[in-house]
Amino acid sequence: MDILTIENLQKSFGEKEVLRGLNLSVPEHSIFGFIGRNGAGKTTTMKAILGLLKPDSGQISVIGENVHFGQTRTNRYIGYLPDVPEFYPFMTALEYLRFSGEISGMEKADLRARSEELLELVGLGQERHRIKGFSRGMKQRLGIAQALLNRPKLLICDEPTSALDPVGRKEILDILLAARAQTTILFSTHILSDVERICSEAAFLNDGKVAMQGTIAELRGMRPSDGFLIETERKEDADMLRRAFGDGKAAENNTVVLHGSTEQFYDIMRFVAENRIPVQRMERMEPTLESLFLEVTA
Amino acid sequence: MKPLAAFLKKEYIEAARTGKIMVLVLLFVLFGIMNPAIAKLTPWMLEILSESLEESGFAVTNVQVDALTSWTQFFKNIPMALIAFVLLFSDSFTKEYRSGTLLLVLTKGLTRYKVVLAKAVLLLSLWTLGYGLCFCITYGYTAYFWDNSIAHHLFSAVGMWWLLGTWVICLTVLFSSLLENNTGVTLCTAGIVALAYLWSFIPKAKAYSPAMLMNAGSLLSGMEVVEAYTRAALVAAVSAVMMVGVSVWNMNKRQV
Repeated sequence: MDILTIENLQKSFGEKEVLRGLNLSVPEHSIFGFIGRNGAGKTTTMKAILGLLKPDSGQISVIGENVHFGQTRTNRYIGYLPDVPEFYPFMTALEYLRFSGEISGMEKADLRARSEELLELVGLGQERHRIKGFSRGMKQRLGIAQALLNRPKLLICDEPTSALDPVGRKEILDILLAARAQTTILFSTHILSDVERICSEAAFLNDGKVAMQGTIAELRGMRPSDGFLIETERKEDADMLRRAFGDGKAAENNTVVLHGSTEQFYDIMRFVAENRIPVQRMERMEPTLESLFLEVTA
Repeated sequence: MKPLAAFLKKEYIEAARTGKIMVLVLLFVLFGIMNPAIAKLTPWMLEILSESLEESGFAVTNVQVDALTSWTQFFKNIPMALIAFVLLFSDSFTKEYRSGTLLLVLTKGLTRYKVVLAKAVLLLSLWTLGYGLCFCITYGYTAYFWDNSIAHHLFSAVGMWWLLGTWVICLTVLFSSLLENNTGVTLCTAGIVALAYLWSFIPKAKAYSPAMLMNAGSLLSGMEVVEAYTRAALVAAVSAVMMVGVSVWNMNKRQV
């Protein structure tokens, strides 16, 4: 079942058309990567899903219910983490979660248990200071805790890792992976290694539309293999391979990258066997998300 | 009602922890003490100044101070307290837009009219509290030194001025629902008050201008009747309620 569907979403800000007929469907229990360059319309799409922006046309539905601008009941299914989450600086993390829970109408006992459990999950269990002194990473972690507070069916994270150092990024990704059991996650990013690490599905956003969508494997499969990489023990062997199958120039080191069909790969293996070339490694190069992304957004 | 109560509680905690309530209490207590103090000290100050005044050709006779002097000071000083109040709280809404704190609250399901309502309740309750404090202190000291009973329509006059403050605060709520920054909110509020003030000079229409309430202090001498202010009070009260209503409407349309 799809937890979120967007049909033909359009939105302009003045003269600038940000979304031009965006279609998207997010299946339940996936970690869905929403990939696009800065300014591609990721945040605009997310705000429209939350009813914070009024789309010019198009339909958004969350668990089968339509989203309305302004007061939308669908937000009770959604947890939201904005790109730079801002909290009331005069509260402590625990006070903020309690406040959030009261706003969304949670039961008192449940709220207390859930707040403590989530603060533990995001590593703020022992934090007693007011939010005023929190680092960016700490705010991001508190952001995830407040987003998960009322057990949302859909967690929307807007570039949760973009502003963080490698350690902070890893922590956030681990928390998201741990949250997967409870919810579906839609997360926007332009960091492709994050997508490869945790996402099960992804969509590329370009020019206000979804240019490609599918599971990570499907996306990779949309382009044929890039070629083969052969690393030999001796440089002369690399040169020989290059003369026989490549562009004929001398190799720079003992690694050759050759392009061609699978048939050619067998020919190369035969050549290696017949000439008894000692090989360090031989691999078929997978198309990376990065090369796909560059191709799609070119 | 639980979300509204939670947001209202947050507003009071914010006002307390950011020190605004403290500043407010100090301000209104200070004004409250100053009113009778200035009245009490007037003869003494004039005495000190009398020599130099005589040199410049002014004759200083014995000055009579009474409860009316103290209350005249009250109505002279309270505009300053109101201005300070508006400046102190002019960023109540705009700070939330700017920092983005409202975003999370709204996505958590708080209905938008509750934001306007909670903030209006906070502002009006603090205004009432501060104003009441200032009034009680002035009343107490004035009763101690002189006799409050010589002031005519005291409670009506004080009530009219409270209403004027309420009207001005509702103006700030209205402009806060429309504008992005607190300078704009303060300037627009001041602009409307200035217009109302000009309106209060138009002979045929002045009875309806909320700015007429600024003159409520002149009721104390007994030369005027309360009825002279009822139309202005009515306009102020009705427009204050309407402004909160329009603010809710603005808030519902706002893209955050």
